[in-house]
Amino acid sequence: MPLSKTFVYISHPRYLEHDTGGGEHPESPERLEEINRRLQTLADPGRIVTQKPAPAARSWIMRIHSEDYLLRFEETALAGLGYFGHPDNQLGYDTYEIALLAAGAGLSGIDLAEQEPAAAIFCGVRPPGHHAEKAMALGFCFLNNIAIAARYWQEKYGRRRLAIIDFDAHHGNGIQAAFEESPEVFYLSIHEHPTFSFPGTGYAEEHGVGSGLGTTMNIPLLPGAGDREVARAFTRRVEPALADFRPEALIIGAGFDGHRLDDMSGLAYSSALYRFLGQRIAALAERHCEGRLITILEGGYHLPSLGESFSEYCSGLRQSS
Amino acid sequence: MFVSNFMSYPVRTVGPDTLVPEARKIMSAASCRHLPVVDESKLLLGIITDRDIRSALPSKVVDQGEMTECLHRFETLPVKRIMTETVTCLTVEATLDDALILFEEHKVGALPVLDADNRIVGILALNDLLKAYKKLFGLGVRGSSLIVVKDNGKPHPLTRLTEILEAREVPFTRLIRTGDNDRDTLIYIRIHTHKLHAIYHALAEAGFETVAPHPISLESPGFLRRE
Ligand SMILES: [Zn+2]
Repeated sequence: MPLSKTFVYISHPRYLEHDTGGGEHPESPERLEEINRRLQTLADPGRIVTQKPAPAARSWIMRIHSEDYLLRFEETALAGLGYFGHPDNQLGYDTYEIALLAAGAGLSGIDLAEQEPAAAIFCGVRPPGHHAEKAMALGFCFLNNIAIAARYWQEKYGRRRLAIIDFDAHHGNGIQAAFEESPEVFYLSIHEHPTFSFPGTGYAEEHGVGSGLGTTMNIPLLPGAGDREVARAFTRRVEPALADFRPEALIIGAGFDGHRLDDMSGLAYSSALYRFLGQRIAALAERHCEGRLITILEGGYHLPSLGESFSEYCSGLRQSS
Repeated sequence: MFVSNFMSYPVRTVGPDTLVPEARKIMSAASCRHLPVVDESKLLLGIITDRDIRSALPSKVVDQGEMTECLHRFETLPVKRIMTETVTCLTVEATLDDALILFEEHKVGALPVLDADNRIVGILALNDLLKAYKKLFGLGVRGSSLIVVKDNGKPHPLTRLTEILEAREVPFTRLIRTGDNDRDTLIYIRIHTHKLHAIYHALAEAGFETVAPHPISLESPGFLRRE
């Protein structure tokens, strides 16, 4: 049996301090504790490295978010107002700083992917990011970690053509909004159909805007859809689209809330699906991008399934070819 | 609710003696497919569509000599000769419902909107109506989704529903209850939260049955039978 690839887990203990009020809030610190526990059980422990990120510089955050929004975000956190914009988006005194650290994980991951494209890199962050828009917190998200990382990769390393594959159960409206006019960033998302699911965006008919027409691909699945539907969509839609687009680097939005036991969506994926996705994604990165690939955590709220799906995904990532 | 909130205005219009090629240019510049024809006091005389213009163009199958003659005829043709004179119109007081009924009945692409003195003040294209209903239903509003609840005959379902949502500080923006004799009465609510599961649980606890959506399966015999 071939050795697994080196696995780099980028995370920070302070992510556990983002306080969503406890109680019933699904986006809890226990999510990362579960992942940290699973990390100990991954294969080839000698080839697992953990790394702490630095906070993202404000200038990188401002490539995606407005200054006024950042000020309001910081003020709301420091004032102890409990939530930002909508009761879903609960926060605590430290949330602003922690969100900068969460955005920083992607940037550290990219630095590493440029040095060691053969490593499998996973950023285990919270708060999540893909629903956050330029000036709006939404769906537990404050800063759009993936969109910020994409800009960083483009501008720091000149990798202009990027693809973002988002397999969270929900549409990443914030990522789409950031890049729908850009022909250089291809956003592909597989999610539960927006008529029945949060955030109500990501219809198949949205293909991008203006010169970005054709570099947005939404693949909505009906409630109840499972492994077969995702595998089919990946093979028939995602892989051919990327073969045409020829990205120079790949960013993955890894949400595990499509799992059948996760009640944050009506999708019915099994844990094994995430291994399939890990393998196919690593193969795509090798085929098109010389291995330049990072993965950033989004959702996933049913703790045992989150842990199991995470380890399946990582095994898939490390296994390819 | 009123068409005046969704119509396009001011409207590009032409006079009855405007030549068809000129009207064609105006339409393509304004990228519209309907051009009302009015007199000096803005009274509506008729309407021309891009299709009327295409029909007036000489056919490609005629021979060279005939072609030149047809082209000349086209170049000098005033719009009054090809316009539709009987035009279905809306008034500024018309509602979206009026527009929907007219569009369905008359199979037209746009309806001019007239003031009390029959002067044209706007135009409502079919696409404007679609946009209006999209807005009305809150489609694509960030952070919202539709849930569907069965009205199972227990008293005050709407009150109980809204209480559940308000107690949890979950904003909702659309509440629609359908009533069809031969079908279940359904209640549609557009709610704004990522914690949909918490709402589903609360609804179940309060005795509501939520409806899982299913498309019509082409293989099932139910496709041809109305269930
Ligand atoms: Zn999600």
